[in-house]
Amino acid sequence: MNAAIDPTLKLLIVDDSNIVRRRVERSQRFDRLRLVGSAANGVEALALFSRTDPDVVTMDLTMPQMDGIECIRRMVAVKPSVRILVISALADKATAIEAMACGANGFLNKPFTERQLNEALAELLR
Amino acid sequence: MSPAVPLDRRTALLIAIGVLLAAALGTALGTGFRLATRLREDIAAVQTASTLQAYPRELLREVSGLRERLEVRAYVGRSLATLRGSTHDFGVRLRALAAIDHDPAQLASVQRRWRGYRDELAPVLGFRGEPYVDSDAAATRLSGDGHRLYARIERARLYALANARGFDADLATVTRGLQSSASAAATRLRLLLLGGVLAALVLAAIAAWLLLSRARHARAAQEARERTRDILRTVREGFFLLDADHRIGPVWSDALGRMFGREDFAGLDFRNLLAGLVPEPTIATALKYVDLLWGERANENLMKTINPLSQVEVKSTDPLNPEPRYLQFDFHRVTGAHGVKYVLCSVVDVTSNVALARELQESQVGANAQLDMLIGMTRTDPLQLASFLDTADAGLKLVNAILREPARSDADFRRKLGGLMRELHTLKGEAGALELRGVADRLHALESRVSACESRPALSGDDFLPIVAKLDELVEYLRGIREIGARLARTDAEPAASPADAIAPILEAAAARLAQDHHKALRVECSGFDAIPRPLAKPLKDCLVHLVRNAAVHGIEDPDLRRTRSKSDVGLVRTRFARTADGYELTVEDDGAGIAPDAVKAAAVRAGLITEAEAAAMDTRAAIALIFRAGFSTMSEVSLGAGRGVGMDVVARTIHALGGRIGVATSPGKYTRFKIHLPAAADAAAAVA
Repeated sequence: MNAAIDPTLKLLIVDDSNIVRRRVERSQRFDRLRLVGSAANGVEALALFSRTDPDVVTMDLTMPQMDGIECIRRMVAVKPSVRILVISALADKATAIEAMACGANGFLNKPFTERQLNEALAELLR
Repeated sequence: MSPAVPLDRRTALLIAIGVLLAAALGTALGTGFRLATRLREDIAAVQTASTLQAYPRELLREVSGLRERLEVRAYVGRSLATLRGSTHDFGVRLRALAAIDHDPAQLASVQRRWRGYRDELAPVLGFRGEPYVDSDAAATRLSGDGHRLYARIERARLYALANARGFDADLATVTRGLQSSASAAATRLRLLLLGGVLAALVLAAIAAWLLLSRARHARAAQEARERTRDILRTVREGFFLLDADHRIGPVWSDALGRMFGREDFAGLDFRNLLAGLVPEPTIATALKYVDLLWGERANENLMKTINPLSQVEVKSTDPLNPEPRYLQFDFHRVTGAHGVKYVLCSVVDVTSNVALARELQESQVGANAQLDMLIGMTRTDPLQLASFLDTADAGLKLVNAILREPARSDADFRRKLGGLMRELHTLKGEAGALELRGVADRLHALESRVSACESRPALSGDDFLPIVAKLDELVEYLRGIREIGARLARTDAEPAASPADAIAPILEAAAARLAQDHHKALRVECSGFDAIPRPLAKPLKDCLVHLVRNAAVHGIEDPDLRRTRSKSDVGLVRTRFARTADGYELTVEDDGAGIAPDAVKAAAVRAGLITEAEAAAMDTRAAIALIFRAGFSTMSEVSLGAGRGVGMDVVARTIHALGGRIGVATSPGKYTRFKIHLPAAADAAAAVA
């Protein structure tokens, strides 16, 4: 088998809650995704990002050390083709819109159902 | 009809057809002109040729004439001149024909013959001498020149004679050739004209078809525009398009006008549309959201949840309906061949949906309360519950009866209110004791209504209407509980115990709840209740609930105060039932603050039960007895537990009804003890009550 043809996209999960991390990992959309790392804060996330070069990132906004918006900004600057789904509690819409303006592709509100997560990932990978 | 062909392509097609038409006509006209010229030349040539045909014979005639003149020695000068002219004419015409004729082969033969002719004639025509010699001896005879001339003429005549037929045939051939050429040119001209006309007709037909289809297309477009207009006029949603500068496009649905109370949408800035209706920060966020749609990255479906205008409260612009409305804005990308063309915004009035959602939430809260109630019920002993429901039923019947009593004067109304208060208060106490919070809350609300009535200066029958309404609601609620209780009882049936057994748990539960509500610690001790005769169980239970509540609320001090009085933190309420020689005795004693006669007097004065003077004249015993009077309360703050001044009078009335008596002994700061004596016949009295 040719190793260069890899049908799966590399996924990086950034969230300080391991419950959320596990839920994303369990999503049915994983037939097209391959987990390459998970980070609990922005600094860790950026380090993993440059090492693993993921195609898809799920991103929490409120994290210790570096906030999600800054993290998104830097990731998009490094790799403009990366697809980022913000998964965060919608405290105020202005912050969410700011995250989108910085280059995120979509937003999923916490708490979310299994179905909502699946639909959001499917939409992101379309 | 093919409306798929765009208008500009049709126009280009029309122009191409026009150019083709012009080219075809130009070519036809040019060719026609050339053909016509040729035809004219051919006709002229035919004429020339037919003229020429006559010449050889004419020349022969003239030459013959010349010979005859020479023979008769006539004058030949004129004839020679004529022959010269004819010869010259022939040469000129033949040259002209040669210039026109397109078939030189035919003419060549003529020209050859003519050259021979001309050569033969040349010496004749060039003759300048004198042909005759006049002599007197003989008649005029030919001179030497004359003989030569004659010989020349004779040669020329013979040549002409020999060639006359050939000339004729050759010229006839030339003429026929020219005629057929002219005829061919005429045919070609006719065909050309026919072709030109046909081509023009075809092109004109295509042009007409195109124009017609363009008109049809324009009509269809007009119709489509009208239909779009109809949709926009009828649709209930507000629709408009936003450009990259947030300006509203020239088309919008009429509903938008109704929603915003304006019509000047064309070119209006989206910010100005929202200004005054929505807070400024929301507008700024909304514009940022719309800008995301113009970008490449954001996924439209994955940003719906963060739409800041998904449900906005909008101040009403309608003076008749000042209630705020709720609008829902939705934004969609409209893309063309070169990315996003504009953003379609739809606005829906969701006021009724919001109201519905609220109602749903309220009913959810109600359902939760019912669930709480249900859980409360499952914790309650079914017997106690049944007993309470019976009591409540009877109590509410009594309340109903009180409400129905005829009343005319203000005093009658007030007496009615007093009766209502007592009944409601009793029920509330029991409901509280059973932790039927929903019932207790409703009874409290009902009590508040009654209380509000009491404080009115003048009462009338109408004032009771809200009470009746609340009462109906409560009866309905209790019926629900009874039904649930009946179902629970069916699933969880236990053999009926003595009703007296239920009293102690009721009191303990009531004490626990009151302790919690009033931040006190207390304990109830019950003894001898198993000796309570069945008929007395209910009235005594009612009395005990009141007495324990009074002890808990008024008697037992809060733990801090108790500590300063060197008492245990936990207050104690002791209840004891016992048979005596002549009947029964029920004691309720608390180790609380006791009853302060002066406080009782002051409260009675405040409640308007006695005057200041009466209070001053009253001794301690009489003062304490005031607590059994209807409408008495020592609590300044009305609470759910006690304090409305009903309770003790209910106890007193109940005991009196049973033929018993109630006594109170108290020591301020130390204790209060109620002692109830019932005659042996009290159970019989209760059984018939």
